[in-house]
Amino acid sequence: MKTCIACGMPMKAAEDFPGGDQSKDYCVYCAREDGTMQSYPEKLEGMTEFLVRTQGLDHGAAHETAVRLMSKLPAWKDMRTNA
Amino acid sequence: MTESKRQRQKAQTKEHLIETAYAVFSSRGIMAARMADIAAAAGVSHGTVFLHFNTQEALIEEVVAHYGALIALETHALAERCGSMEELLRAHLGAISAYEPFYTRLVLENRMLPTAARDSWIDIQSAVSLHFNRVAERESSRIEKRGIPDAMLFNMWMGLVHYYLANGGLFAPEGNVIRRHGTTLVGSFLKLLNG
Repeated sequence: MKTCIACGMPMKAAEDFPGGDQSKDYCVYCAREDGTMQSYPEKLEGMTEFLVRTQGLDHGAAHETAVRLMSKLPAWKDMRTNA
Repeated sequence: MTESKRQRQKAQTKEHLIETAYAVFSSRGIMAARMADIAAAAGVSHGTVFLHFNTQEALIEEVVAHYGALIALETHALAERCGSMEELLRAHLGAISAYEPFYTRLVLENRMLPTAARDSWIDIQSAVSLHFNRVAERESSRIEKRGIPDAMLFNMWMGLVHYYLANGGLFAPEGNVIRRHGTTLVGSFLKLLNG
């Protein structure tokens, strides 16, 4: 089973992949509308928004958490963590 | 001894220490457990534990990350097949129940844990909130949200479950809160949602 390189989500079903393309290493939530992978700023904003919207975290706390969580993921390991 | 055999043994010892620390944390608490307790329970010297984990913080972070990932994976696996909120809530409790003593320690102690362990805690909650949100959207015509924001709805459920786990000694002194109260928690929450 694949794990999304950009957010860590397990990907099993075709619907978990962008456009159902199971050769991709990133999930449907980390893809742009054209199927390419989101950039670091896009993903950081998306993950922050997800934490705020679904769990009600404070925006600043969500942002800091997203920065730390993303720094451990293969797609962003080399990114600076002070974004 | 060959290098690969030595490396294999080292990896096995580390795995054994993580499993042992999980058991010790589950029974005695995460912050209360000492490295010496884990060494004794694992049947290794104190020095061996430090050989694999430089600090107690590093050990805690790795154990919480390892078992947090298992709980999150279990949540994903059970939740992705759910078509209704009732199935999802049952799946959530099912994923927790296999790890209930350890999960309860996380409920009680997460604010005191090292930052990386607190991040693993949020990762577990994100696995639940993702599916909770999906099902709530899908069932929006059937679920009576009464204008309550999605995050608040989610936190009401989590608050209920975590309150019962945090006070397990009062609600299920025999030690299994989910088995004893899971059906009531799900049923009561759904009645609130559906009016």
